[in-house]
Amino acid sequence: MNLIDIRNLSIKLQTSTKPIFAVDRVNLTMKEGEVRGLVGESGSGKSLLAQAIVGVLDEKWQVDADRFHWRGNDLMRLSAEERKAIISKDVAMIFQEPMACLDPTTTIGEQLEEAVDVEQLTGYFWQKRQQRKLAAINLLHKVGIKQHEVCVKSFPHQLTDALCQRVMIAMALARRPMLLIADEPTAAMESTNQGQIFRLLASLNQLKNMSILLISHDLENVTHWTNTITVMYSGQFVEAGTTEQIFNQPYHPYTRALVDSSPKASRMIPNKSRLMTLPGSIPTLQHLPIGCRLGPRCPRAQQKCVHAPKIKNFHSHQVSCHFPLKDNYS
Amino acid sequence: MLIFTLRRFSLFFFTLLLLTMLSFSLSFLFPGEQLINLTGQISASPEQLAVLANEYQHHSGLLGQYISYLKHLFQGDMGYSMTSHLPISNEVLNRLPATVELASVALLVAMFVGIPVGFCAAIYHRKAADNLILTIAMIGYSIPVFWLGILAILVFSIQLGWLPSSGQISLLFEIKHITGLQLIDIILSDSPYKWQAFQDATRHLILPVIVVALAPATIFMRLARSAMLEVLDTHYIKAAKAKGLTFSQIIYRHAMRNAIIKVIRDIGLQFANLITIAMVTEVIFSWPGIGSWLIESIYQRDYTAIQGGLIVLSSFIFIVHIIIDLVYAALNPLAREPRHGT
Repeated sequence: MNLIDIRNLSIKLQTSTKPIFAVDRVNLTMKEGEVRGLVGESGSGKSLLAQAIVGVLDEKWQVDADRFHWRGNDLMRLSAEERKAIISKDVAMIFQEPMACLDPTTTIGEQLEEAVDVEQLTGYFWQKRQQRKLAAINLLHKVGIKQHEVCVKSFPHQLTDALCQRVMIAMALARRPMLLIADEPTAAMESTNQGQIFRLLASLNQLKNMSILLISHDLENVTHWTNTITVMYSGQFVEAGTTEQIFNQPYHPYTRALVDSSPKASRMIPNKSRLMTLPGSIPTLQHLPIGCRLGPRCPRAQQKCVHAPKIKNFHSHQVSCHFPLKDNYS
Repeated sequence: MLIFTLRRFSLFFFTLLLLTMLSFSLSFLFPGEQLINLTGQISASPEQLAVLANEYQHHSGLLGQYISYLKHLFQGDMGYSMTSHLPISNEVLNRLPATVELASVALLVAMFVGIPVGFCAAIYHRKAADNLILTIAMIGYSIPVFWLGILAILVFSIQLGWLPSSGQISLLFEIKHITGLQLIDIILSDSPYKWQAFQDATRHLILPVIVVALAPATIFMRLARSAMLEVLDTHYIKAAKAKGLTFSQIIYRHAMRNAIIKVIRDIGLQFANLITIAMVTEVIFSWPGIGSWLIESIYQRDYTAIQGGLIVLSSFIFIVHIIIDLVYAALNPLAREPRHGT
């Protein structure tokens, strides 16, 4: 059974003239225990998609979808409160800039304690305070913070970015979620800290069978930690498949360009040669091209590309392109 | 926190030093003899003046004069009033508590009304309640205080007859002067009509407090509203939502404290404004405070009183500033730490 199954999710911004589709009919499916990477450039709508799943988008964004199933339940039929109850119980999210995501005037301990699920506490109300404290300390141990006494008493600005992110993960773990959405958890972090955070996420995935949706702009880095990858471009679905399929045999010209643009140690590149890039830059929300949004930049674009392509499925490797690069590999 | 406090106090010290310099230089700038301006002894004989000149080291340099002036100031000697021939320090001690009472009650009322209303406006952002509150705040801020005071007397004292129009307490009650703060004195006194006196004093307090508090309350409304909107837009509120907290939990546990911190900073700044309003209100309501006394002495060209009142009133404002700064630091962990760079 799929953990989450989203079909044609759109997020639009109502402007005075016409609605802008910041995310345009995106599909996303995840199985239990899967680590999926969601890759795209900045502004490709991956953070919006994640926030729409968790339901923390501002009121100005309108979300609708053809299908939004969570473990077989159709969430579209439920009211907003019921949906929020289910989602906040089973889905947790960590953000970029962890320090900005912690209340600067409250100690880490208090913030952890309020995240602790009330249903997990047993005993009378006078015992609950103590239990909450213990639960908070346990959570800190789970994310590998051993000096819990210092940590509980400190304020967010007294900790490093990596520690703050660990605290965020600890808070996310408090409700024992089935799915953890990590929105660029290591942006602006040193590479040693990045590795620690990723290793922590990987071990949580293996030990607790927790699914992880890892959002990143760095395809190269994500491939080390994920089973499957979904690629987005400018709010549109591009390609989804296993990490090997995406990395070794991308069918979509955009994914091809993304893979080629990152230098690899194994490939010999002559000195001072230019790296492969696509011409132009990602379109702004006010000037989105019709049809396939990659059209103006795509090396394989033809007249047909002014219509949005249908998703083609090759052995669970989905690609949204009129002219996939399928024949290049044989 | 200790360093923070010490820094505030050193700031207090130097600001007071500058204030005394200003007040000292005023005695030169006012028309008339400098020594008489400083001491307020207009009808002194030449012999007495010679003694005073010796006391204030009138024949040494400016620095010596200033230091002797400071010495007198620290001994509580601010000279004599030119009109009433009473020591200024006595007058100030008699008058200041009434102003402290009026201003602090008004400040508390303005805070406890303005800030929650402002938070409500932010929570109902872009809804009818928000617009209504903003309109009220705009109107309240635009009403001139002297007009509002007269109007309040006209409506509530004369036409409706609900509240007394002037003074601090009815003349029937005799309350001993202990702290000077009327309400506290009444509680401390052992008069058999204590309770009635307390009621009467409160009734006298209501109108001036409302008049003084209106403008600051509307400013606090707008400050609180914008602070709350800013806080509600931050990442940690979004993260708290994702954590599964309900809206009221987010408001009470996270948004309120952070928003209040932002507002408290500005409360100190608004306090000087509030004192100015209180001075005008004191004149309208014949409130026996230092504000009306100071305005009176300006009319009567009582230069010594102006100098003394200036120092006392501004140090009072500054003390309140420091208290608010300390409260701010107690609430905000970021302010307590010494800043390096950035």
